[in-house]
Order: sequence, then C-alpha cells, then structure tokens
Amino acid sequence: MSGGLGTLALLAFVACLGFGTETISFPKVAALLAQGPFAEGTMQNAPHYIILWQVRVPRVLLAFMVGGSLAAVGASLQALLRNPLADPYVIGISSGAALGAAVAILFGVGLSVFGLSVLPFCAFLGALVSLFIVYRIAVSYRSFSMHTLLLGGVVLNAIFSALILFLTSLADPYKASGMYAWLMGSLTGPDFQTVLVLAVYLIFGVCVLVSQARSLNLLTLGEEAARSLGVEVERVKRVIFAASALLTGSVVAFSGLIGFVGLIVPHAVRLAFGADHRLLLIASGIVGGTFLMVADTLARTLLSPTEIPVGVVTALVGGPIFLYLLVQQRKRIVS
Amino acid sequence: MTQRLETSSTPPLKLTGVTFGFGRRETAAQSPVLKNVSFTIAAGEVLGILGPNGSGKSTLMKILMRILVPQQGTVEWFGQSHDAFYQSDVARHVAFVPQETQQAFPFTISEMVLMGRYPHHGRTWGLGWESSQDRAVAMQAMNDLGVSHLGTRLITNVSGGERQRAVIARALAQEPDVLLLDEPTAFLDLHHQLEIARIIRRLNRERGLTVVLVSHDLNLASQYCDRLLLLREGEIVTVGTSEDVIAGESLERVYGCPVLVDRHPQSGRPRVTLPV
Repeated sequence: MSGGLGTLALLAFVACLGFGTETISFPKVAALLAQGPFAEGTMQNAPHYIILWQVRVPRVLLAFMVGGSLAAVGASLQALLRNPLADPYVIGISSGAALGAAVAILFGVGLSVFGLSVLPFCAFLGALVSLFIVYRIAVSYRSFSMHTLLLGGVVLNAIFSALILFLTSLADPYKASGMYAWLMGSLTGPDFQTVLVLAVYLIFGVCVLVSQARSLNLLTLGEEAARSLGVEVERVKRVIFAASALLTGSVVAFSGLIGFVGLIVPHAVRLAFGADHRLLLIASGIVGGTFLMVADTLARTLLSPTEIPVGVVTALVGGPIFLYLLVQQRKRIVS
Repeated sequence: MTQRLETSSTPPLKLTGVTFGFGRRETAAQSPVLKNVSFTIAAGEVLGILGPNGSGKSTLMKILMRILVPQQGTVEWFGQSHDAFYQSDVARHVAFVPQETQQAFPFTISEMVLMGRYPHHGRTWGLGWESSQDRAVAMQAMNDLGVSHLGTRLITNVSGGERQRAVIARALAQEPDVLLLDEPTAFLDLHHQLEIARIIRRLNRERGLTVVLVSHDLNLASQYCDRLLLLREGEIVTVGTSEDVIAGESLERVYGCPVLVDRHPQSGRPRVTLPV
C-alpha cells in the first residue's frame, strides 16, 4: 500500500523534473539522474545536466519535503484538536511562523548565533506561540470548539497579517517586494545545501509525529478518554506541539505561506486508507509531498516563463475544497 | 520513581478524605465539587453511585480513573497510592466507559476496540502494531458484547446502542479488574438499557469483574447493584444496600421532591416512582 504510494511519488518526481521552461524528456531525465550529482567530464557542462541537477532536483525535492511536512502536521493537529478542518495555515500557525520570520528578516538579517541563522528559530517561536493560543481557544468551548477554532484561526491570521504588513511598510522597497513574494509561498531557487539542511529538520520532525501516531489515535476520543486508556496526554501534547512548530516554522522560513495542503491531503488519504494515524501520517507525508511537487510544477510552467507563487496554486485548489468540507461538516452536525 | 501496580492486595479502590475542586487552587478550595469523600470498593462488587445533577458523580468517577487528581486526600488502587504510577499502569487494571463517545474521524469498530490494548504496550515510541494476542483479546471482547459482526463498520455509522457496546468492548480489551461506567444507559432506549444492564451483571458474576457505575436511573441501580452510594453536593449521604439507600426519607432529602417507594414485582427490591 505505502509501496504503491512510494512508486507513485517516484514517478511524479521524475515527471516533475522533466517539465519547465525547458522540457526534458523522461528517458533523458532518467539518464541524467543516473549520472549522479557529481558527474565529471563533458557531462558536467551539458545545459540539461546543469538545469536538472542544480535547479530542478533541489526545487522538486524541496517541494516534496515541504508538502509532506505540511500534510503530516495537518493530520496531527486535526487529531490533537479533534477537528478535521484544522490546517497549519487555516488556524493561523503558519502566519505566526511568518511573523516570527518577518521580524528576523527585517531586524536581524545576517544575525546568527553559533553559525546558525536565527530566521528558522524565530519562525519556530512564532509557530509555537500561535499554536499555544489556538489550543487555548480550542479547549475554551468544549461543544463548539470546531467553529470556535476556525473563527479563532481567522482572527489570528488577520492580526498576524496586519503585523507583518506593518513591519513590511517600515522596510525599504527592495526588501518589501522580496517579503511579498515570500509571503505568497514560493519554492524558488533553493541550493542543494539549503535543501539538505532543511531535510534534517523536516525528517526529524515527521519521525517524531509518526512516533506518536498511536497516541494520536486515542486523542481523537478526547483527552479524558485518552487518559483513561493510558495515554500520558500532557507529554504527548508537548511532543506534538514542539514537532508541529518545528515543521511549520522550518517550512515557512524557507518557503513562505503555503496553505491547505495540510487540510486536503489527510482528508483524501483518510477516504482511501482509513483513520489509523500510523498509516495516515506516513501516507499523508508521501501524498502531500507528491501533491506539492505537482502544484509547484504547475506554478512554474502554466505561465512560463513567469512563475505563479505556489501558495496561490494550493489556495485556489484547497480553498474551494475547504468550503465544501465545511458545508459537509455542518450538515452532519445539524442532522 | 515509578513502580508496577500489583493487584494481589485488596481492596481494588479506596478513597480517603478526597476533596476536589475545578480551577485554580483558591477557587477550587472555595467551591469544591467533592468534600472529604471516603469509601472503599470491595473486589467483585457492583457499586452504584447516585445523586442529583451536579452532586459530583462524574467527577468522582474521573478521580477513580485518575483523569482528575484530587487536591486533598488519597486514592489507592489495590492498596497503593496513585502518585507512583504511569497512567498506563492504572489503565491496565481500571477501565472507564464515558457517558458519551463522539468521534469525528472514520475509525472502524475493531480499530476502536483495539485501542483498549494501548496500556499493554508500555510507553513505546514505535508504531506499536497490535500482536495476534492483542487481536485475540479484542475479538473476545467484541464477542462478549455481541459486536463482532460490526468489526469493519465505522464508529460514526452505527446506532447509539451499538456504539455503547463497542466502547464497553474496548474497556474489556484493557483486561481490567475494575470497570467504571458513567451513565452507561443514559442515551439508550428500554431494550438497549436492559441489554447493557444484563451484560454488566453477567461480566460481574462470571468473571468477578468489579463494577462501579454512575446512574440517574434509581431503579436500574436498585436492581443491579450490590451496594449504592448516595451523593449530595459533593458529600456522601449514605452508603449501603438498596434497602438502606432507596428509602423515601433519604431520597426526598437529597433530591428535594416527594417520591413513592414500593417493591419490584420480580426481585422484591425497592422501586421508586414519582407521585402525580
């Protein structure tokens, strides 16, 4: 089952590498991939080789990791908040991370502690703070938490966006235009090193979430029921919060605001594989990664050579699906 | 330090001077939900907890399950105080059936019942796939509750009675010594009320399972419980047999309304009705 998904992801990976302003045929992509990233001789200078290994592979890999992380965070938060409509973007976690990152960009560019950039750390802190606020909102009204949570997310998003815009207005125009591009969600121009560093954070974060999958299953019953079945609820919550903030913070720091992946992917996966988080988290990771690879390929090819921000693509696909699901949920509650 | 919970010593549950309030320390002390509650639950008995709305019945159950921890007093499981144990240690011996189970996600009935095996897996970080023994225990529990044919159905798509039986099956899959039920028949029709009550009595008689149940249904409790505990405003009014507790005077005092007490035509136990 996950083998099938893996094959699908691999095929999508190769296909996405082929598309772009310069189309490379599949057999050629396969042949160039087989050369490895450190080919020597004439190959090294072939334009297709350079495009593939220096531009497209890092970007498509980044898309896969970002999409997979967002989907895994979405699935975990849905279980923790007992709300199938939770998504790091919709409930304001991503914009919290973005505010943290914006503060770092505008006030502390180049600032680093022990050789590490403070940008991802600020994004992590922003994500953690907003996650905490959202959680307090979710538990404040037991019976209406679903809509309270979504409303709370809307307001948090509004507040954080206003603060980001305020900060941006203080910045010089050059910096500001870069900020706008980044806020719309973009996977443009990563180098291999960036992708590898990010991979360490993201793989670690996803593994932590997957390690809690069984406890997440029980948390969907509510905290009291989970506790009665032997879950150390407070410990599990802290672990999920930290891992979700790490993933959201890292993703936002590198690729801005990309919404709805964490919402629609777990929904689709649940329809196919059921609700067990041990399968759901892994499958969501693979499907989410594949989804964002494809979305990003569309973003860079539809109006080529102009690029559409990938966050725009995912919002245009995910937004309507979110509205549909919202109406469905409402029907279920009323009936 | 933690230690494993040993079940050899009786009684299974003992409360001494338990006082509990919600919220911060000061507000909790000012308006406690439970005040100085002490009682002992004997192995193999069915104890019914009765009382008006807001008398602290559900809170008491949550304290017995260690979902809530009292500010004062001690709770002992099998003669051992609770601070020493992990939640999973308690959950291997005590199982809790909540008043209502809501589930927004499409778990199947057998997945739900298998969740009862969680405390037997320790605090592992792995995926914790269930062993064939786990599946056998869950299957047995589903057979006991007559829900084995529903295994692949979604919990969101079964009737209230079927869901309640599945939740009791999940509790049995924990292989507990004590079963706590919070209003197990509250949302069920007559047929399902009788069914659940009979299942509970059968489990008690055949396996010696200790049962504690909270109920608003005085008659059901009178018929099926060995002892009853009557609560009012967080304090114990009486503990005793149904003869002692289901008596006009104490019920009228606690519930604040007149009641008529006669006898059940089959069992001869006290029966309550409201006057016209």
